[in-house]
Amino acid sequence: MPNVNSAQTALDLLVLTILDRRGPLHGYGIAVAIGDLSEETLRVEEGSLYPALHRMEELGWISAEWKMSETKRRARFYRISKAGKKQLASESERWASFSAGVSRVLRHA
Amino acid sequence: MSWFSRLRNAWNPRRLDADLDEEMRDHLERRAAALEQKGEKAEEAHRKARLRFGNATRLHEESRGFRLWTGLETTLQDIRYGWRGMRRSPGFTVTAVLSLGLAIGAITAIYSIVDAAVLMPLPVSKPDQLFRLAYPAISGIGSSAIDEWDSFSYPMYQRFLAASGPAARLAAFSNPESAEVQRSNSGATSQKVTRQFVSGNAFDLLGVSPALGRLLSPDDNRMPSGRAVAVLSYDYWNRRFDRDPKALGQLLQIDGKPYQIVGVARQGFWGVEPGRFVDIWVPATTYNSQALAGLDWHWLRIIGRLAPGVIRRQFQARLQPSFHQLQMELIKSSHMMPAMVRKQFLSSVIRVHPAATGVSDFRQTFSRPLWIVFGVALGILLIACANVASLLLARATARRTEMAMRVSLGAARKRLIRQMLTESLMLSLAAGALGWLFARIIAPLVVSAISTQGNPVQLALATDIRVLLFCIAVSTLAAVLFGLAPAWQASGVQPMLALRSSTGQASKLRLGKWFVSIQVACAFCMVMVGAAFLFSLGNLLRVNPGFDARNVAVLNLTMKAAKSDDPVAYSANHPGEQTRLRNLMFQIQQRVATQPGIQSAALAWWPIFEGGGWSERVIMPGKGPSERQEIFYRVSPKYFAALHTPLISGRDFRRRDSTAPQPIPAIVNEAFARRYFHGLNVLGRQFSYPFPPSPVRVAVVGVVADARYYNLRQPADPIVYLPLEATDSFTLYVRSPLNLGQIVRIAGHAANAVGSGMQIREATTLETIVGNTLLREKLLAGVGGAFAFFGLLLAAIGLFGLLSYSVGRRRKEMGIRVALGAQRGEIVALVLKDVTGLMGGGLIAGLAGALAIITVFRSLLFRIPFGDPWVIGTAIALFLLTGLLAAGLPAHRAATVDPVRALREE
Repeated sequence: MPNVNSAQTALDLLVLTILDRRGPLHGYGIAVAIGDLSEETLRVEEGSLYPALHRMEELGWISAEWKMSETKRRARFYRISKAGKKQLASESERWASFSAGVSRVLRHA
Repeated sequence: MSWFSRLRNAWNPRRLDADLDEEMRDHLERRAAALEQKGEKAEEAHRKARLRFGNATRLHEESRGFRLWTGLETTLQDIRYGWRGMRRSPGFTVTAVLSLGLAIGAITAIYSIVDAAVLMPLPVSKPDQLFRLAYPAISGIGSSAIDEWDSFSYPMYQRFLAASGPAARLAAFSNPESAEVQRSNSGATSQKVTRQFVSGNAFDLLGVSPALGRLLSPDDNRMPSGRAVAVLSYDYWNRRFDRDPKALGQLLQIDGKPYQIVGVARQGFWGVEPGRFVDIWVPATTYNSQALAGLDWHWLRIIGRLAPGVIRRQFQARLQPSFHQLQMELIKSSHMMPAMVRKQFLSSVIRVHPAATGVSDFRQTFSRPLWIVFGVALGILLIACANVASLLLARATARRTEMAMRVSLGAARKRLIRQMLTESLMLSLAAGALGWLFARIIAPLVVSAISTQGNPVQLALATDIRVLLFCIAVSTLAAVLFGLAPAWQASGVQPMLALRSSTGQASKLRLGKWFVSIQVACAFCMVMVGAAFLFSLGNLLRVNPGFDARNVAVLNLTMKAAKSDDPVAYSANHPGEQTRLRNLMFQIQQRVATQPGIQSAALAWWPIFEGGGWSERVIMPGKGPSERQEIFYRVSPKYFAALHTPLISGRDFRRRDSTAPQPIPAIVNEAFARRYFHGLNVLGRQFSYPFPPSPVRVAVVGVVADARYYNLRQPADPIVYLPLEATDSFTLYVRSPLNLGQIVRIAGHAANAVGSGMQIREATTLETIVGNTLLREKLLAGVGGAFAFFGLLLAAIGLFGLLSYSVGRRRKEMGIRVALGAQRGEIVALVLKDVTGLMGGGLIAGLAGALAIITVFRSLLFRIPFGDPWVIGTAIALFLLTGLLAAGLPAHRAATVDPVRALREE
């Protein structure tokens, strides 16, 4: 079973995946990416992204730094770290088996 | 990294807040811009962006929680808040820090001495394995009230060594005593050092390593006479040789005997006796041969280390048979030992005590007084805490509205208490830092107060981290003591009541009264105990010693023996030498006595009041030897005149008495005449004292008034004065109004004129010598008294503060009373009634405490009966006076309240 608090786990998983695939992004970029990729089906409060980002930063999964963005404004860019990649690998595997299990139950019950 | 960044963010949360704000604002603006591109109006776009974002403040707080150390942030906030509070009321802060700092300083100073002298283990390896040997004191021998002896003779040490086998190792240590040292190659003046004779295995047994060269080995301690080698302490090597490695191999003349330096002990090792630092160690077998062979020449302490697995009890059982055997031999060798004493010898049992903290005369004398002074310092600390607590309480009252506001805005009580305790802790840690500095100043002063020239006290005061920990612990404890109650009370404020009006103060004052009662109890207890010790010292100083110590110089002289390789051996066997020495001695006396400015001069074998003595049993005609040993003292003619001891009947000694045949002329004091002749009419009466092979007969030619011999505490002992006999080291008493330096110069000239290599070894005054026997009392009366006074002062400040406060609160009431026609006297009486109420309970508690303390430490007091009315009366008088002074100003203020103004306020 993955973490019971699966909403949080899911958000972590999304953020880590996006950062892993697309390279460094600022918070708004991540929010936009989540919206685009899930075709707006995953509509979370955009702000709740930030506590999650800061928590993962403290955990050492991602790192952040202030950089000039394309629009010549300062923005905080997040980048996935080695520990984050490890976390992503183990967590996505567990997530896959979990969701497979759930969909099996949904199908055969 | 994350730990560090959280710490940094807690330290400076503003930067983090700005960071978070900027990041979120950036998001909102980008979203709004995106929405505007889709065609929304600017205002609408911003609204929608915020809507999509959610509750920014909550999210901000949530993020903040991840990125900083909240606990630390709160603490830092509290500290900043406390700091502002302290800056806002500097008067309060200074008062609190100063009084607490002095109290913490006093207790830390005393603790550092107690720690160094009593608690700290010896600076050796595994000190808890060490033990020392002792046995019960035999009554009727010696003067002191010590109930246990720990001195052994060298033959005894050897026998114990043989008996202990593999169960334990034993080493012997002489008393550290001063010796004269001269460096042979520099031809310099001689210096005083502390020298200790030790057995060859001493360093090995203690596990002390050399810093240079080698330490003593069993081979150095050869019998019959040891190798003349010396080991220096690191400190002495540093002091006198500047840590020069070339010190090795140099020759030192120690008390005229050459020793070769073979090594330096490691840094930090000063011996096995706290209170006394040894400079030079030499092999025990280089002591004089007579002492080494003498079974009853007790001069060594024995310290041992148990083998693993052996317990002290087993070892005691192993040693007891040889100890018993030794006692039997002592009885046999002793002349005419009375039956009572023999019985004590036979039933004597060897004791094996733990010796992790070493052996110490200093400790024996001073540990109890030090604990008392420690207790007094604790009292000061309690008073200071109560004082600061009531100040805090008053301040908390002033901040009531603020507290009420915070409570009604939702502050948790825990949070408020935490904040106020942080403030208390800040105060007390500041006070602790101050106290640490005070302690560094006070402790050496106290030590120097109990240190004398002849018996210097040295303690490792500064080196111990435990003292610092103690200081911090005391400060923290103090913070809880004085901070908790006011914090609890202030945080329990009822916002409704507090915000509405200023009523409901009663409970606060009650707590304040409690603090004052505690202060009064402690202060009274201290004042009374201090008074008891002061009166005790006064009683001792008023004792008539039987001589006049003023204007008497005491010089100790040594003479080179003409033909003697053994400086300690007494040259009685050489009649010619004896005559020569005796003539020289009388010449010195004569020369000094006839100098201008000198009133009289006299000689004796050693100075009184320094513990030196010779005691013998007395054999009355037709009777056996006495059970008690009495003091025998050899003095020259004019001794009684020089010391102003009245001659009651008979005559003084004459020079020719020194060579008189038996019965030898003797002068006895009144105590002796009463005890042995039951009256004072004793001229011409005879008795004798044991002296192998046959007793020496003496005849009384004079009776003198009683004079104290060892100290002022004990009643006058019986004393037998005998004519002076020749000796190579003796004491010269000089009565003269000149100062000590002038007298030393005169005596030095006289000694030079006489020739024969006479030297002044020590010079002091009789007043100093007598004063040195009162060190313990002076410590208790001086330090204890000063501390008690300080406590009283603090308590007075506390009382003053509380009364001022309560009078201030009752201004309205006073105003009404005055308006209704109350007279000044009545108002003053009203305030004073408050004071007596406050003081009464504390006084009774303090009195009970003081009586208990005085009872426990009765033996340290001199002629202070239980419940001495003088002591109690003085303490109460002093206290009431202080109370009146402290209450005077507030009472005056209350009496002069202007009713119109008082009633208009608020």
